[in-house]
Amino acid sequence: MNLVVTGLSHHTCPVEVREKLGFTTQAVPRALLRLGSQFDGGGAVILSTCNRVELYLHHPGEPRELGRQMCAFLSEWHNVPEAEFADHLYEYHGREAVGHLFRVASSLDSLVVGEAQILGQVHDAFIAAQAAQTTDKVLNALFQQAFSLAKRLRTNTDIGAGQVSISSVAVVLAASIFMDLSDKTVMIVGSGDVAELTLKSLVGRGVKDVLIANRHPERAEALAEAFQGRPVPFESLRDHLYRADILIGATAAPRFVLHPEDFQHAMPRRDHAPMFVIDIAVPRDVDPATSALDNVYVYDIDDLEKVVNQNMEARRREMERCLAAVEQEADKFVRWMSGLAAEPTIVSMSEELNAIRERELKKTLAALGDLTPKQRQEVEYLAQRIVNAILQRPMTHIKHEIGHHDPNTVIHLVKRLFGIEESG
Amino acid sequence: MLDWAIDIAFYTGSACFVAAGLMALRHLRGNCGDTLKPAARVLLAGAALLLVTLVFRGVKWGMMPLTTTVDALSLFGLLTAVIMVYVVRKENAPAMLCFYAPPLAAACLINAAVAHDALHTSPRELQGLPLTLHVGTVFLAYALFFLASMTSAAYLFQAHRLKHRKTTGLFQRLPSLEQLDRTLWRLVRYGYPLFVATLALGFVWAWFDDQLLEARWWLAPKVIMSCAMVVFYGALFHLRRHGGLRGPKLSYLMLVGFVALLLAYFALDLLHLRDYNFWEGGA
Repeated sequence: MNLVVTGLSHHTCPVEVREKLGFTTQAVPRALLRLGSQFDGGGAVILSTCNRVELYLHHPGEPRELGRQMCAFLSEWHNVPEAEFADHLYEYHGREAVGHLFRVASSLDSLVVGEAQILGQVHDAFIAAQAAQTTDKVLNALFQQAFSLAKRLRTNTDIGAGQVSISSVAVVLAASIFMDLSDKTVMIVGSGDVAELTLKSLVGRGVKDVLIANRHPERAEALAEAFQGRPVPFESLRDHLYRADILIGATAAPRFVLHPEDFQHAMPRRDHAPMFVIDIAVPRDVDPATSALDNVYVYDIDDLEKVVNQNMEARRREMERCLAAVEQEADKFVRWMSGLAAEPTIVSMSEELNAIRERELKKTLAALGDLTPKQRQEVEYLAQRIVNAILQRPMTHIKHEIGHHDPNTVIHLVKRLFGIEESG
Repeated sequence: MLDWAIDIAFYTGSACFVAAGLMALRHLRGNCGDTLKPAARVLLAGAALLLVTLVFRGVKWGMMPLTTTVDALSLFGLLTAVIMVYVVRKENAPAMLCFYAPPLAAACLINAAVAHDALHTSPRELQGLPLTLHVGTVFLAYALFFLASMTSAAYLFQAHRLKHRKTTGLFQRLPSLEQLDRTLWRLVRYGYPLFVATLALGFVWAWFDDQLLEARWWLAPKVIMSCAMVVFYGALFHLRRHGGLRGPKLSYLMLVGFVALLLAYFALDLLHLRDYNFWEGGA
């Protein structure tokens, strides 16, 4: 039995190619059934996300031939000529395939390394395959192992730590200042896509009180309606500044709108409680000198990008540790898989020795003549114990040796040693 | 036999504190799995062993052993460890152990290094329950002040990282500034009244019992320093409550205040000025 994965991802091809070969959630069960019938006697899983399309197959066929057939399957299913995507395909066999799935599930192969979504997508792909009954013992174990490894890496390393988008970084920074966002007030000054996205994220994290200051009253009204906020006259912005725990600056003003003096006046009125200023505007709305004030934390767009880059860098640093763990787990899994290859040989070996036992037992019992039932039972037990003792060591060591040497050589040797060439 | 038991309990307990401190430091190097949960358990084990040490010493000498430096530090260590684990669990902030456990481990290590002879000498007898309570609860107040100071250090660390846009590593694992401020405030809110009450208890008792201390005990450096501490923490308490003193300034004052107090205590110890007969010319 061979494990093969073939597919394409954001690493190997542009979205124009990926979108032609993607499987919708509704199409996956039908595609799995087709794969299952085409590759009878094995198992199959289809993983299709916006960044990758992959087919996992466990089958007795020759790996390269299986890869070719899987390519043909993709072509037929999507009605896309092989020539259009064959150059973008990658193909992994055996241990490489195991390592690949572990990397994918652990988000080490993702566009944004460490993102959490891929684990759910791999899980959904596996559940769909289980529902379509196209998984087998090896694929079940492989995917379970991938989930367990991915969770372990997320917990024990910083691979998923830190946010990597401007709006989510702003929210996480807010959460590092304030314990509970639900009792905090956000004031948005001006408007813009990133600012509104940030406000949306903050509202999503529980913020209920939103103040909107905009030079254009109609724009303020529209934002107030969208976020259940309250408009504040732009002219009296400074008078309302003390109410804001989080301030989002997003005007198109050519000069600073707020200065350190404005904050110096506001802080005593808010009992010097911390204030977080997210200045997304370019040119900036808040004088950077404000950052020197106690309890006022000012982040402009460059600062937020810097945090994004730091988080990305931190994740990249964790890659090495994670990849080492992936290699270790892949080795372990391959050893387990090789052990499975020995099972038919072990069964044959056991059958062969039991056949000898029965044959010899029959002769011995005939030679011994009349025996009491107890004596007969003791002789039978003796023979069984001898066979068990002979089998015990080879059974343990075959699995071990097969994981460290060429499985075919080990199996061939065992078959010759126990004379099971013909029957095995 | 009891001497052996005291040695084993004390040194194993101290080793537990050092191990917990090292585990917390290991966490500082990066997310290396969950080292903080076991660190908290090891701390509790250490606290239990130090308690056993005090009980054994109490049994051996037939009195509450609180007057030697080793006993005092052991009591301080075990109280701090228990409150520390409680705070960390209640606030769901295991990373706070990175600030709490290593300095406590250092204190316990120093204590263990100098403890050998003192462990087997008799403590001075505390006359009556009020004095025993006074000495015991003052260490509880110190434990709360110590944790408040370390919480201040964590606050300053977080605020500094936030101001300087260094938001990876330990920053991501520590609680928010607001939560740290709340924890700090709670520790001081319990520690300060306890300290004042303990001191008042000692004052009243010493005032009415002429035989207890020397004539001008209230001018002893230790007493003056304790009063200064009451005024200092009282001022912080008041400013925090009514003057809007919060954030880095409060944390900085809290930390500096505690370090100054600690240094002053060590200085008094080194100069042999911890007794109450300073003005009588004794030491």
